[in-house]
Amino acid sequence: MTAPATSTSISTPDAGVPTAGQVAGRRWRASRGVVLTVLALVVLAVALASMQPSVGPRYLDPESPSQGGSRALAQILGQRGVPVRTVRDAREALSAARPDTVLVIVRTERLTDEELNALRAAPGDLLLVDPTQPALAALAPGVRPATGSFQEVAGPDCALDAAVRAGEVRFELSQLYLTPPGATRCYPSEGLPRLVQLPVGGRTVTVLGSGNPLTNDRLDEQGNAALAMNLAGARSSVVWLIPDLPEPGSTRARSWQDLVPLGVWLFVLQLAVAVVLVALWRMRRMGPVVAEALPVVVRSAETVEGRARLYRAHRARGSAAEALRAGARDRLVPLLGLPRGAAQDPSMAQEIVSAVARRTQWDERVIGGALYGPEPVDDVQLVGLTDFLDDLERQVRQS
Amino acid sequence: MALTGRLGLLALLGAFVPLLLPGWGTLLVVWGVLLLGVAVDLALAGNVRRLALHRAGDTNVRLGETATVSLVVENLGRRRVRARLRDAWPPSAAAAPRVTRIDVAAGERQRVVTTLTPTRRGDRRAVTVTIRSVGPLGLAARQLNRPAPWTLRVLPGFPSRRHLPGKLAKLRELTGRHVALIRGQGTEFDSLREYVDGDDVRSIDWRATARRADVVVRTWRPERDRRIYLVLDTGRTSAGRVGDIPRLDCSMDAALLLGALASRAGDRVDLLAYDRRVRARVEGVGGRGILSAMVQAMAPLEPELIESDAAGMVSTIMSRVRQRCLVVLLTELNPAAIEEGLLPLLPQLTARHLVMVAAVADPRVAEMARARGDLAAVYDAAAAERARADRRRLTAELRRYGVEVVDAAPDDLAPALADAYLALKAAGRL
Repeated sequence: MTAPATSTSISTPDAGVPTAGQVAGRRWRASRGVVLTVLALVVLAVALASMQPSVGPRYLDPESPSQGGSRALAQILGQRGVPVRTVRDAREALSAARPDTVLVIVRTERLTDEELNALRAAPGDLLLVDPTQPALAALAPGVRPATGSFQEVAGPDCALDAAVRAGEVRFELSQLYLTPPGATRCYPSEGLPRLVQLPVGGRTVTVLGSGNPLTNDRLDEQGNAALAMNLAGARSSVVWLIPDLPEPGSTRARSWQDLVPLGVWLFVLQLAVAVVLVALWRMRRMGPVVAEALPVVVRSAETVEGRARLYRAHRARGSAAEALRAGARDRLVPLLGLPRGAAQDPSMAQEIVSAVARRTQWDERVIGGALYGPEPVDDVQLVGLTDFLDDLERQVRQS
Repeated sequence: MALTGRLGLLALLGAFVPLLLPGWGTLLVVWGVLLLGVAVDLALAGNVRRLALHRAGDTNVRLGETATVSLVVENLGRRRVRARLRDAWPPSAAAAPRVTRIDVAAGERQRVVTTLTPTRRGDRRAVTVTIRSVGPLGLAARQLNRPAPWTLRVLPGFPSRRHLPGKLAKLRELTGRHVALIRGQGTEFDSLREYVDGDDVRSIDWRATARRADVVVRTWRPERDRRIYLVLDTGRTSAGRVGDIPRLDCSMDAALLLGALASRAGDRVDLLAYDRRVRARVEGVGGRGILSAMVQAMAPLEPELIESDAAGMVSTIMSRVRQRCLVVLLTELNPAAIEEGLLPLLPQLTARHLVMVAAVADPRVAEMARARGDLAAVYDAAAAERARADRRRLTAELRRYGVEVVDAAPDDLAPALADAYLALKAAGRL
C-alpha cells in the first residue's frame, strides 16, 4: 500500500494525491464505528461467559479426585462399609439398583425423558442432587423449583434425623423448592427448603438443592460430610449414577428448537411479517416506469479513429506517411505561392522541393526525401518523418 | 392500494408484544390490529377518482431553458384528500420535483407546479399522474393513475442568435440604411438623385444628366425578394455527434440564423427536411413568422438511420421551386454519400439554381491531425490528414460545379454561412 502511494506523491508533488497516512486516517474514520461496535460486542460476550457459573466435566464424579469431584465421599462411604458403585448409564443404574440401595443421581441435565421415565421404576431409595425440572417432575412429583438462594450456610430447622445430626451445612448457592404436603422440609431460607424428603410409591426420595456439600473441595466444611454420608449411606450400598453426555445425534429428544421459548418463535414470525410488509411498501411504485426512445449516439469522428486503428494494426506506414506528406504539401503550397492544385500533382514535385529548399536550411535531396520519399522502414522513421515535416512547415512559415 | 412505511414500523413494534406475552393469541391480536388499521385507512382514504385534473403552463420551450407546467387538482369528492402525487414525464424532460404532497379539502383545489428542463429537442408528453391517497392513520393508501395529457414542444436552442445583431448590422451596411448609397454595394437599380461631392464619378448617369441641368447619379441597392431554399439532410450522416451535439442540431442552428437574416433582408425563406421522404416543410411563410414556423417544424425532427436519397431530394427541390433561388444544402461532406448521390445530379440543380453546401467540420479531426509524440498519435494524425484530404478533394470538386461550400466547426458554421450569404448578396449573385 505504501509504495505506490509514495511513488505517486513523488511523481506529482502538488496536492491532491493523499499520502498513505491520510488514506489510513480516512479509512479509520470511516470504519471506526463498526470496529468499536464489534469490540464492544466481544467484550460483552467475554464478560457474560465469565459470569456464567461453570461446571467442570467431572463435577460430582465419585471417581474424580478434582476439587469438583466426589471421590472423597465415595471412599469414606466405602470405609464405613457402604460400597459405592459408580454407573454412567441409566439402564445400568436400573439393573444395579436393589431395594436396599440408595440411588444417587447427579447431573440430571444429561438424562433424556425416556431415561427419567425408566428410572421411575428403579427399586430402593433415591437421592437427587440439584435435579432439573423434568427430573423432578418424573422422580419427585409435586416438588417444583422456586428461586435460588445465595445464603451460604443454613441450619437444618427440621425433624429429619440425618439433617439434625449434621447440623449447619455450607450449601453456598442452592436451589429452593416448593413442596407438596407431606414432605419433610429442611434447611429453609425464606420459608422454602433446600432439602426435601418425601415418600413416592413406597420409597424415600430426597431432593438436595445443591451438589456443593458432596464435592471433594467442600466435604470437610461445617456439617457437609455428615449430611452427605447420612443421606447417601442410609442403606447398605450406594449406586451413584453420573450419566455420560449422550452421543451427539444419538437422541432427538432435546434439539435446539425445543429450547427456544414460544415467545421468541412468535417474535421471529412477526419480524418476518414486518419484513414482508416493508417489502410490499417499497415494492409499490409511484406509477409506471416511463420508457423513452433514445436517440442513437454515434461520434462523428468514429470513422477517422477507426482508420487510425486500422493503420496501426496493420503497420501501414506507407499509407500513413503518404497521408501525412500530402497534408504537409497541401499546407506548404499556398505558403510558397504556388497554385493549390500543385500539391497533389507529381509533375510539380521538383518545383515544390526547390521552392521549399530556398526557404529552409535543408538541401533539395533531404526535402525531396521527406515530401516524396519512399515508405519509412520502421516506426521510428515514421515518427521522425512526421517531426521533420512539422519542422519544414514551421521554417517555411517563418521565412 | 399501497401500504406505507408506518405499517411496517408498527408490525416491527408488534413483534415485541409476543416476547412479553407469549402465545398465539397475542400474535393474532397484533395481526388483527394491523388488519383493522389497514381496513380503516382504505375505507376512509380520500377518493382519487373524484379528483379532477386540469393542466396549464408552457407549451413551447427552447432547448436548454426551463419550462413550468402546472397541474390543478380539484377535489370533487366529499372527503379530504391527503396524498402523494407524481406527475410522470419522460426522463429527458427532466421534470422536478418527482413527487409532491397535496392536501386538498373537499371542494377545494390545489396547484402543483412542475419545472421541466428538457435535455433533448422534440415533443415531450406527460405520461400520467399517479396519486397515492393516504388514509387518516397513515397505514395504507389508495393509489391510482389518472391521465392528464399535456405536450411540451422542445424547440431548437438557436444558440447562434447572438450573432444575429452583428450580421444584421452588416446587412444594413449593404442596404444603405446607415451609409450613403454608393455604387458597388448592390446590383439592383434603385433610383436617380443629384450628385453630391464624394460620389463615385462612375455612377453618374450621363443620359439623365443630359436631360437635366444637374449632374445625376444612379443609386443601387441589394436585390430583394429573392428565394432562399434551405434543405436539411436528416439522413444517417446527420446523426453523427460533434462534441455531444448531433450534426443535425448544428445544421438547424445555422439554418435558423440564415433564415432570420434572410427574412430581415427581404428574401423569402423556405425550409425542407429530407432523407428518403419529406420530414418537414415550411413554404410560403413570410416576414416575422418564418422563424417561429421554422423552429416549430424543426422541433420534432430526429436523424434517421437511413441513407439519404439525393435523387429524391433534388427532384423535390426542382418540383417545388420554379424560379431561380439559392438552395442551401445542410449536409455532411461524406465522400461516399456525396460522390454517389449528389454529384451526378448537381448539374441539373446548378443549371437553374445557385447551390450552397454547408457542413460541420469535426474539431476532433483537427485535434487528431495535430497529435504528435508516439506512434499511435502519428497514425491518428495520418488518418485525420487522410480524412481532411478527402474533404478538400470533395470541396474542390463541388466548387468545380459552381457550388459554394461552407465547411466550418460547429460554433463557426452559423456565422460562416451567414457571411457567405451576405457575400453573395453583396456581389449580386442571388
